[in-house]
Amino acid sequence: MKPLMLQGHERAITQIKYNREGDLLFSAAKDSKPNVWWSLNGERLGTFNGHGGVVWCLDVDWQSIHLITGGGDSSCRLWDLETGKNIATIKTNSSVRTCNFSYSAYQAAYTTDKAMGHPCEVFIIDTRTIDDSISSASSILKWEITDSKVTSMIWGTLDETIITGHEAGDLIQWDLRTGKKIHSIKEHSRQINDMQLSRDGTMFITASKDQTAKLFDTSSLELLKEYKTERPVNSAALSPILDHVVLGGGQDAMEVTTTSTRQGKFDARFFHLVFEEEFGRVKGHFGPINSLAFHPDGRSYASGGEDGYVRVQSFDQAYFDYTFDYNRD
Amino acid sequence: MKRSRDALFKNMWYIFVTKMPVADEIQSSWADEVEIDQGALPPPSEVVENGLKIVTEYKYDNDNKKVKIVRTYKIEKRVVSKSIAKRKTWSKFGDSAEDKPGPNPATTNVSEDVFMQFISSKEEAQRPDDSDLDGLKPPTSSVIFKCRTCQGEHWTSSCPFKHTQLAQTKANEAAKAAEAKAASSTNKYVAPNMREGASRGPGREPPGARRGDDVAAIRISNLSNFAVEADLDDLVKGFGPVHKLYLAKEKSTGLCKGFAYVHFKFKADAAKAIQTLNGHGYDHLILNVEWSKPPQNN
Repeated sequence: MKPLMLQGHERAITQIKYNREGDLLFSAAKDSKPNVWWSLNGERLGTFNGHGGVVWCLDVDWQSIHLITGGGDSSCRLWDLETGKNIATIKTNSSVRTCNFSYSAYQAAYTTDKAMGHPCEVFIIDTRTIDDSISSASSILKWEITDSKVTSMIWGTLDETIITGHEAGDLIQWDLRTGKKIHSIKEHSRQINDMQLSRDGTMFITASKDQTAKLFDTSSLELLKEYKTERPVNSAALSPILDHVVLGGGQDAMEVTTTSTRQGKFDARFFHLVFEEEFGRVKGHFGPINSLAFHPDGRSYASGGEDGYVRVQSFDQAYFDYTFDYNRD
Repeated sequence: MKRSRDALFKNMWYIFVTKMPVADEIQSSWADEVEIDQGALPPPSEVVENGLKIVTEYKYDNDNKKVKIVRTYKIEKRVVSKSIAKRKTWSKFGDSAEDKPGPNPATTNVSEDVFMQFISSKEEAQRPDDSDLDGLKPPTSSVIFKCRTCQGEHWTSSCPFKHTQLAQTKANEAAKAAEAKAASSTNKYVAPNMREGASRGPGREPPGARRGDDVAAIRISNLSNFAVEADLDDLVKGFGPVHKLYLAKEKSTGLCKGFAYVHFKFKADAAKAIQTLNGHGYDHLILNVEWSKPPQNN
């Protein structure tokens, strides 16, 4: 199947996400305008104009009513999805690195960078009514991260915890009633670039600069599986219907021009969830893949790259017919 | 109640433009250019007929030539859930506010076909990272020269067995064997007609058939053109352990040339094979099996 190429951004893609039903695809990039697309035909629904710099992260609530974005212009913004209007803007002290709605969308969490003399902080805000008042309202909970900064974040089960991935490779699970650590582990040796939940939320996969992706249990942070590559992993996603994992990555953008290895290494790589073995690759991008997302129906996936393109690739029948060879003994 | 359901159905039918082949660029013919005055481009047109939307545009390209761009879209109707259908009715906003319904070619394109490459990780592990360059490097470990007497990794003149009985008996056959081996296994250039498996013309036998006198080799001829190694293996494995199989093949077509050599481990097995197979009907032909003759001196 021919992939759709979405050229809505002028700079490298930072994050892409589908909404819960999979009809909309959101993309954020290092330019200031996040985009939203109809995933089926790649038609652009609109752009969210308002940010004044890099947009690092975005998330959509489960009903596809609101969008939250965070960017390098030290702001976290909430948008109305239907009209693309900026409903609320939360000013922060430093750039916003991660932001996510909780599953119920009653709360949202965002984290800021350690920069400009300000520490890395985690904020939990109330998003039951989203209007101008949010801009001035104080957060429900906030706490400082003293060691390495947060580079990725997801909500845990039942909106009771959040899990943060750190620049030094730590994973920390926080109790939102107290703001205290529940679990803290260090399975990665370098920055955790991305974390994504499985469909049922019981597991999540991390993508790290230490060239591995790892699968963890959401409640106990127990390490379940490890997927090894020979390049930094920028993003990893779990298939909602099959035991498959897709990893995307590549050399650092700044190293691409100075290394002379053969072209490539920018392909999306498919691993078997259980056997941890690679079985397929899909080429396409001209630069490292920065973000990956499976369509909720599992029949296509999208990747956003350092080259500024989002590619929506539907799987061929060959992908569904493929069975992984293994010894049944 | 009924009315609201109708409204729902109406909501559920909407237009999705899914297929979008790459724009065909057709240079207008000289006749068109004469007819239409320079500078005036024909108006763009949009035709919707039997499920296809055909958009035709004209513009000037970089060389100031008129270019006709025809894009064909396939219009599909899909039944989806109510919430998705409702979202489909949203109007575009932001930078896309001015876009017409359907994908805007400025932001949405269809790229070349890309297929998933299926690999097994074992293959991957064995593949060297920069394999292209490795082939060019000279082999560092393998020794190019060999002692003709004892096959050791030293010159024949410095062989420790030089003056022993071994040297005397082995010298003749070892020289021959080493020569044949060298021709096939070293990195030296070997003329095509000298390579293993190549036809050596009438009066000669392929190098696969070379052997010492005690080797239990048989020659099977009058084989069918379509015989392959597996057939041959089936044919002879019943007689005993087989050391080597050689099926002469036409180089260009890969078809059997009608004869083959089989080296058994034991002479008795070979004799049994000759006895049984000679005159045996196989694939509508009658096989001719005999002892392989020693190579003729030439």
